Amino acid sequence: MNNHYPQNESFRAALKTRYRVANIWQGIFIFALLVSLISLTALIYNVMDGAFGYVAFEYKKDPATFTSTPVENLSKEELLVVLKSNLSAGAYKKLDNEQPMLNRSRADLYSLFLERLVQLDIKQIWSLTDSIFHSAEIKAEAAQKYPKAKLEFRSWLTPQFLSSPMSSKAGFAGVRTAILGSLWLVGIALLFALPIGAGAAIYLQEYAPKNWLTKIIQTNINNLAGVPSIVYGMLGLAIFVRALETFTSGVLFGVTDSNGRTILSAGLTMGVLTLPLIIINAQEAIKAVPDSLRQAAYGVGATKWQTIWHFVLPNSIAGILTGSILALSRALGETAPLIIVGASTFISVDPSSPFSKFTALPIQIYQWTTRAQPEFHAIAAGAILALLILLLTLNATAVLLRNRLQRKY
Amino acid sequence: MIRKTFEHEIQQVKDDVLLLGSMVEHAIIGSVEALKKRDIKASEKLIADDREVNKKRFEIENQLMILIATQQPMAHDLRLLASTMEIISELERMGDYAKGIANINIRMGEETLLKPLIDIPRMAQIGADMLHRALTAFVNEDVEAAKSIPVEDDEVDALYNQIYRELMLFVIQDPKTIERANWLLWVAHNLERVADRVTNICERTVFIATGEMVEIKNSDEEFWKGQKNS
Amino acid sequence: MPNNQSEYAIETKNLFIFYGAYAAVSEVNIKIEKRKITAIIGPSGCGKSTLLRSFNRMNDFVPSSYVTGEILLHGRNLYDKNVDPVQVRRKIGMVFQKPNPFPKSIYENVSWGAKINGFKGNMDELVEQSLRGAALWDEVKDKLKKSAYELSGGQQQRLCIARTIAIQPDIILMDEPASALDPISTLRIEELMQELKKNYTIIIVTHNMQQAARVSDYTVMMMIDDKRSGGVIEFDDTKKIFTRPKDRRTEDYVTGRFG
Repeated sequence: MNNHYPQNESFRAALKTRYRVANIWQGIFIFALLVSLISLTALIYNVMDGAFGYVAFEYKKDPATFTSTPVENLSKEELLVVLKSNLSAGAYKKLDNEQPMLNRSRADLYSLFLERLVQLDIKQIWSLTDSIFHSAEIKAEAAQKYPKAKLEFRSWLTPQFLSSPMSSKAGFAGVRTAILGSLWLVGIALLFALPIGAGAAIYLQEYAPKNWLTKIIQTNINNLAGVPSIVYGMLGLAIFVRALETFTSGVLFGVTDSNGRTILSAGLTMGVLTLPLIIINAQEAIKAVPDSLRQAAYGVGATKWQTIWHFVLPNSIAGILTGSILALSRALGETAPLIIVGASTFISVDPSSPFSKFTALPIQIYQWTTRAQPEFHAIAAGAILALLILLLTLNATAVLLRNRLQRKY
Repeated sequence: MIRKTFEHEIQQVKDDVLLLGSMVEHAIIGSVEALKKRDIKASEKLIADDREVNKKRFEIENQLMILIATQQPMAHDLRLLASTMEIISELERMGDYAKGIANINIRMGEETLLKPLIDIPRMAQIGADMLHRALTAFVNEDVEAAKSIPVEDDEVDALYNQIYRELMLFVIQDPKTIERANWLLWVAHNLERVADRVTNICERTVFIATGEMVEIKNSDEEFWKGQKNS
Repeated sequence: MPNNQSEYAIETKNLFIFYGAYAAVSEVNIKIEKRKITAIIGPSGCGKSTLLRSFNRMNDFVPSSYVTGEILLHGRNLYDKNVDPVQVRRKIGMVFQKPNPFPKSIYENVSWGAKINGFKGNMDELVEQSLRGAALWDEVKDKLKKSAYELSGGQQQRLCIARTIAIQPDIILMDEPASALDPISTLRIEELMQELKKNYTIIIVTHNMQQAARVSDYTVMMMIDDKRSGGVIEFDDTKKIFTRPKDRRTEDYVTGRFG
């Protein structure tokens, strides 16, 4: 055979070129990685920049006019007494109707004290970057513009922020209602979509004959996973809010003061939205169960159902759960379908049943970012942080579940 | 066709068997030749050469064992290797017969031959010829040839019977010739056995080619039948 | 051909196995003897495994596969409309190519098949018997609660055999049971097969001709024809197949000149 390969010098030259091409590609990949890292850093910076910083605020009335002891040391009962004696009877009754005063936490009462009595007023806020690099100027500016105001460096994401209900004043607004709403939504969606999704996946993987009909169904499921979420919103509005109103409003169960725009409708909408993803993920998990295991079971005379129940399900449940949780974390960030289904933008009552009105974290964030006052942008940043933490927790749970439940075969 | 290496080594073994065969052929012809000429030196050389025959036989046997151990022969290959093992042992025994004839020549010392050798060289010639063709049949796995060669054993048996009767006549006429007659009878007997062992080789060849283990001709039976009739 | 007056363990009559329109195995007429080891050999893709898997209806799981002709067990066709494949697999156990114990304890691996098939006797006894039957008891008796995955490959395969004999089948099918094992484990499985054949009929598919020669009493030689369909070309005493086969193609195959 003739030697058609380059020799010595020409081979070395060619090799150099080959390495050069390889290096160029490697550079492109590193560049791509850098771009995504920079984007992610910018995102985190943006959120952090808003969520922390100096704030100048002043009290309209001195706390000392209401109580002789420092407010920080007051117990819940003492705060209740102070509130009752200083608020007008009507205002107190209104608050009591929203949520009985006796059942409220100390933190709640404390923020009521600040909001209603001393009337804390935020004058100006500064971003984290400014707060760090121009702190002297900020102090000078604050002292000059608001001589009566206090300047304080604060985080907008505080335990108080997480545990307070909605308020029209940024300094007192919290995300408790929104977080609870989001958790209800996710819970309802999970309860609805997990059994149905897993069931559909089992049928498709284990039972469905391999024919054109199955192929069409499979293709449709794959495509549905890519349908824009707003379309699911329309679907939820038409079916859960309108067509099934008697059910979703709770009228069927004796709830009277409600329409179809309940947390149940929204949860079901979220469920439908995540269903295709859950089915696809569950199918993958079931596919990952080795065929040799099924054959082993059939080999000792097991029926199909015994095989599925004893081997396919236990060995895929970790994957199914993880897949579902990851699908739900996508739903957690959805805003558009919730707006269509009818999330309330201002609500300070925690959801207490599937038939409650509701709001959710993304709705809250969306609503705050549309406000003109800069302090609302700050609490929006705080809420975004809360949402990110919630998402990370969910994903971490998924990873933990997978590691805990996963079997090796 | 795959297994080229194996086929090549089988060919090598067959070539070695042919070589061993030709060494034995020369020994048979040579031993009778030396006896005829009463050439003690030639006989001594033949005895020394027999060691080469034995050496060659062990060489082939070792090669066969290696092939069986490493190639896991099956069916035809297995029959070939196992039968070759048998054939080289037959060849070595034939070499021993030639050595036996050379020994007789040496032990006869100064004694002269009882009679001029005519039939005994013929027996040797026929035996060596049969052996040559039997080995050719073995290498080519020629069933037809392998089945026809043993028939010629009859001729060898007839010659042996003739020599036997002739020598008996000498002994009856003059009992003092008994020792010298006995020498020659032993030589003829050895040559008769050579032809018998050729028959065995032919039987193996048929087995290699067909897988049938057939007794082509029970030479011993024929031989003793001949004795009884005389 | 094995000529024995006794009833056969399995008998096939004009058996064809199809995948869609394509006949993977054609016209098989063999009679498998009881309490003997029958090996099925042949080059890759000749339908050995397909034939083996038709004996306990494992091919049912392959979409579009179907069978014509008959496979008779106790005179009944396994593919009759009113025969339940689960019932067939209960009577004809199977050991697979790669050891595939259940992801359960050693004890449960053996007891599970018995449990789902409604075994009413003493389970501990059954587990011990089966593990003894698979020559594994002494190695695992102190760790029955441990996961089956802690065992070595060879031990796992013997556990799979124990699990199969626990459901007390008539016939054990083995699909290249030692192909994933080291030589020592392979020999142990082969020794075990000799013990097992006292009570069971064993049919084994193997790529390893020496193995077929060592363990089996009868050998089925399969080959693909010019229509790419597998068929039996020779079925005889193993000793004959490996010393003087009748068919030229068998000769070529066992001497390693084909395949």
